[in-house]
Amino acid sequence: MNVRERVVDVLAEVVAELLRDDLRRVLLGEDVRDGGMLGLSRAAMRDPALGLRVLATPLTPATNLAHATGLALAGRRPIVLLNSATALLEGYAALRELGRVGATANGERAAPVLIVAPTGPGFGLGGDGADSPDAAIAAVPGLRVVVLGDAGEAPASLRAAASFDGGEAPTVLLLPRALILRELEAHEYKPQLGRPLGAARTVRPGSAATVFAVGATLDAAFAAVETSGVDAAIVEVSGLAPLDETGVLAAATSGKLVVTHAGGRSHGAGAELVALLADRAILHLDAPVLRVTGGDGPFTGRDEFAGLPSVEAIVAAITRVATY
Amino acid sequence: MEPSPWDPEGVEQCLDAEGLLLDPRAAQGLDLRALYKRMVAARLLDLRLARLGLPMWVPSAGEEAATVLSATLAGPEDWLYPSVRDLALAPIRGMDLDEFAQQVLGAAYNGRPGAVAAADLGIGHAPEALGLHLPLASGQAHAQKLAGPGRMTAALFGEGLTTTAMFHETVALAVACDLPLVLVCKSQLWPEGAPAEAGLLGDSVAERVKACGLWSRRVDGADVVGVYGAIDQAFRRARDGRGPGLVEVVATRLQAGEKSADVPAHRDPLERLRRHLDREKQWTPTFQDVIEAEVRGQLDRAFTHAQRQVTEETP
Repeated sequence: MNVRERVVDVLAEVVAELLRDDLRRVLLGEDVRDGGMLGLSRAAMRDPALGLRVLATPLTPATNLAHATGLALAGRRPIVLLNSATALLEGYAALRELGRVGATANGERAAPVLIVAPTGPGFGLGGDGADSPDAAIAAVPGLRVVVLGDAGEAPASLRAAASFDGGEAPTVLLLPRALILRELEAHEYKPQLGRPLGAARTVRPGSAATVFAVGATLDAAFAAVETSGVDAAIVEVSGLAPLDETGVLAAATSGKLVVTHAGGRSHGAGAELVALLADRAILHLDAPVLRVTGGDGPFTGRDEFAGLPSVEAIVAAITRVATY
Repeated sequence: MEPSPWDPEGVEQCLDAEGLLLDPRAAQGLDLRALYKRMVAARLLDLRLARLGLPMWVPSAGEEAATVLSATLAGPEDWLYPSVRDLALAPIRGMDLDEFAQQVLGAAYNGRPGAVAAADLGIGHAPEALGLHLPLASGQAHAQKLAGPGRMTAALFGEGLTTTAMFHETVALAVACDLPLVLVCKSQLWPEGAPAEAGLLGDSVAERVKACGLWSRRVDGADVVGVYGAIDQAFRRARDGRGPGLVEVVATRLQAGEKSADVPAHRDPLERLRRHLDREKQWTPTFQDVIEAEVRGQLDRAFTHAQRQVTEETP
């Protein structure tokens, strides 16, 4: 019998492994000494050797991010575990400073901070727990912002996001709530990404149309392409900042493009993608570039899945561009 | 001398209005003549900066004691996170005056006019977001704590910041994590009562944070010996792993213009210290002239040089 493991439990093991691998790393969060709301610090707390580097901080939305920045400036590598990506909006001033710090001090003072936060619908909480503030976070200059799209890549993505040896920017890894409570068999977890973190990736080839899927919409995009009967390519766009422009443009040659992501359409992550395609792929375009997104919200717990696009809506968009 | 509305309440006096040292033990380990020179240099720097026309610049005359003594008492492995009113601490920490002038003009390092920073001198940068240097300092202090006792970080700011979430969050964090962090708060003295919009939440920041479980002391910014004692104690406690603290330094702003005419001379920390040195036969007008000429000369050279460089580099 194959053992199935939840994504969050696998991630918890990776968190502990990251702390073991690099003594500079520290874990920060309000409830990290109790395992964290998602249990991401549970494995680390089981290892007595790591306890001293698991730093519980009070609920201080802006201060904890700046505190992590201060720790990083002092040579530490903080991993901040948040209970919601919307907490970053509460700490926006500090997030902006984190992005800016590398540009001060002649670039001598990097701040290798990793922030890990769940985003979008999935827990049935509604409100902030269903929001996808991904684009607002990606709009902060100087950050690397990545959204997980494939649950099987969760551990490899976390490892890659925690690596700053190449002078990478301070990083926000967003984990769609719709993905992280899933159970996968051990072999379904990929040991390595096989590409730079955030690079656009063609997950299904096809020539009649292209669906660019961000984060939790990747599975819906698969289901939609199957249902539509159109030979459409699916490209996962996980890096919101910096956006892998080369990768996205290379995949735009079908000329019939659909962009799909969680959260609202207005000023959402897709707006940037579509603008890029209008700018630089105009000669390929054979149809309007369509966006299929969640509603703008706000959502209650009952209707929070309105924050994600439906498979039917993606099918309709694929059919429309393919037959345009 | 009777206390006037110009004298802060709830402070312990070491150097009285006439410059009399009430308890000589309070100044132990302190070279008051050397301190006087630094205070004069800080004042002259403020006057020099006033002429530069820097954007958003604010004077800090009258508040020098907190800045100068924080810089004097910080050890080589300690860190200071200054506000933009604490520029005088950089030369005391050892920053070369040419580098200093270039940073102040926005031509080096941060590229932000009116701010200074230097990682090799343990001077943190002042972010533009309100009060954000407090949690950066707490992060620095946390890293020091993880490395073991013997080091601390201090952040300097004005009392206007104490209404912000950033201030309260930092207090909560420093207390919860028992950090080697010292908050040095410069409170403005309002002889006729603070305006409502100052939002001071009581008369004393030091009293307020005590209710949060934070060790604190309140001192008179015109009394350099009192400021010395409080900051020294707070820094030592933090370094020894005895926890975070806050020192509230109540100071009178000495701004040029008609308002400053009302300020009694003993509210000026330089004048009070000068009176003391005069009593002790350690001050003469010549001594004053020599210090001023030396500092003015150094500042003029550095700023003239830096301004010329800035002009040459601007296409």
